[in-house]
Amino acid sequence: MTSTRAVVTEGLTRRFGDFTAVDELDLEVATGSVFAILGPNGAGKTTTVRMLATLTAPTSGRAAVCGHDVVTEAEQVRRSLSLTGQFAALEDNLTCRENLVLMARLRGHSRKDAATITDRLIERFDIVEFADKLVKSVSGGQRRRTDLAASLVIQPQLLVLDEPTTGLDPRSRMEVWSSVRELVSDGVTVLLTTQYLEEADQLADHVVLIDHGRAVASGTPYQLKAQIGEQRVDVVTSDVAAFDALVTALSGRFTLTTNRERRSLSIPAPDETADLAAVAKAVHATGVTVDELALRRPTLDDAFLALTGSPSSHPAEETA
Amino acid sequence: MTTISLSPTVTPRRFTGEVGLLVGRGFRMLPRVPERLLDVTLQPVVFTLLFLYVFGSALHITDPAGHPVRYQDYLLPGLIGQQLVFGLIGTGTATANDFASGVIDRFRSLPVHRLAILTAQVVGQVLEQVLGLVIVVGIGLICGWRPTFGIGGFLELVGLVLLGLLASTWLGVLIGMVFRSSDAVQGVGFSLVFPLSFLAGTFVPIQGMALVPRVIGEWDPIAALVASVRRVCQGTPSSGSWMLEHPELAMVGWCVLIIAVCVPLALRRFSRS
Ligand SMILES: Nc1ncnc2c1ncn2[C@@H]1O[C@H](COP(=O)(O)OP(=O)(O)OP(=O)(O)O)[C@@H](O)[C@H]1O
Ligand SMILES: [Mg+2]
Repeated sequence: MTSTRAVVTEGLTRRFGDFTAVDELDLEVATGSVFAILGPNGAGKTTTVRMLATLTAPTSGRAAVCGHDVVTEAEQVRRSLSLTGQFAALEDNLTCRENLVLMARLRGHSRKDAATITDRLIERFDIVEFADKLVKSVSGGQRRRTDLAASLVIQPQLLVLDEPTTGLDPRSRMEVWSSVRELVSDGVTVLLTTQYLEEADQLADHVVLIDHGRAVASGTPYQLKAQIGEQRVDVVTSDVAAFDALVTALSGRFTLTTNRERRSLSIPAPDETADLAAVAKAVHATGVTVDELALRRPTLDDAFLALTGSPSSHPAEETA
Repeated sequence: MTTISLSPTVTPRRFTGEVGLLVGRGFRMLPRVPERLLDVTLQPVVFTLLFLYVFGSALHITDPAGHPVRYQDYLLPGLIGQQLVFGLIGTGTATANDFASGVIDRFRSLPVHRLAILTAQVVGQVLEQVLGLVIVVGIGLICGWRPTFGIGGFLELVGLVLLGLLASTWLGVLIGMVFRSSDAVQGVGFSLVFPLSFLAGTFVPIQGMALVPRVIGEWDPIAALVASVRRVCQGTPSSGSWMLEHPELAMVGWCVLIIAVCVPLALRRFSRS
């Protein structure tokens, strides 16, 4: 059976007691694409992913992976997808190689095939150096790479990655990104969750922004960015008096988004460095001293503000 | 792209293969965390010596006909029973730790039969507990325990012990899954298993106890276990309740009941969540 949609959910809902973690979610992931679920802490990303991977049962609504219902055809779903969970799920007291071999064997490969596949993955994910170290003694990034490799002991039709780069340094993050791109060129559909707008932008063909378990915006990164705006200039002052003075001085000339508590204001910078220079000049002219003045990419917070008109209710850990 | 649309078939071969792989995973890790084996190595040694020499110096036990019984011969069947039920706590702790680590979730996301994952947990734990029992028996023999059974009796003992291990291990797996934290399992386990194992005629005969502990002891599943092991090993009859007059039957009944309740509950809990 061929399907043009690797994942379809309709009214997918999961409650924990009175609390609704995922609320009437409708998703459609095109086969061969990269789909990103973007949301802050507690938005319901992991719960959604766990329902797709048959680890958590939906309270109501339905979901199908590669044409198979996650409840009634769980076994076929498990054959079609591979999950790399948010927290590395490896056996601490086995080596990286032993973990990979175990996963390959559990996927049904013979001993010989499992060894071959493991060797190939160790090469491909640059695990060679620490392949025979116990997982408990390798670094976070190395563990993450092994974890990702463990999901690829078969070529899944759908690869699900729950926050694949959270906690990784920039170099490891780039490596994960390039692995994902490579997999996509091999024809794997990828569904990933992230808290980083930039990550969704870099990788995804389609992004859905969720908060409180609900989809609040959805589209291609291009469409979303058009709404969010590109770069911004951030200014942070050292005290409230300076902040107030600056807001008064600048509000006539720029579109300001202000946060008095953090003493910060933010100005859209579609022309990037030109805008940065203009803002810097204006700030300098006021004579107010600032702690920080910088050009930066929009964050998840900006996205929420722009797309939903209200800030996300959870503080997002945006450090990218 | 093609997908398998056939209904999934679980052949016995595939099932045992999966169990084998998962049991192998556990054993591969053991030499790297030897402290995990303390409850089936050091603990039986200490308990056996402690009870043998502390209680053995003060207790004079007679059989129902009034003849004195050597304390080694009274105690060892009791210790076999106690070690066996303590395995429940070890299993519960191991299961709670395992399930907290996220690895089990990964297994659950694979097309591996879920009963295979639980069975592997049980088989691995039973094998560990056998080690503990072998140590108890070995120390007992060194210290002068003399069982009186023949080959038939020995086989009967092995059968009883394996059935008992199966029941205690499935119960342990269920408890580990329900309580989730190994601390909770230890707390619940010890406050339940400790009194029940002391009331079970393990160290002193039930007949001599006050009314309340005696009645509990007479219907304590561990008492059926201890009495049946004692009957098989030393030929000592037991009495006091229907259960103690038919200890093997009662013990088999308890075990079958525990297994019949725990397996479906554990499987249901494991499949849902
Ligand atoms: N087993 C559970 N029992 C009760 N509440 C739960 C359970 N699992 C998740 N929740 C709640 O559901 C909400 C969504 O959780 P989820 O883990 O899906 O968020 P997330 O988007 O993955 O967040 P993060 O970015 O922190 O990983 C949270 O408020 C969480 O507390
Ligand atoms: Mg999460």
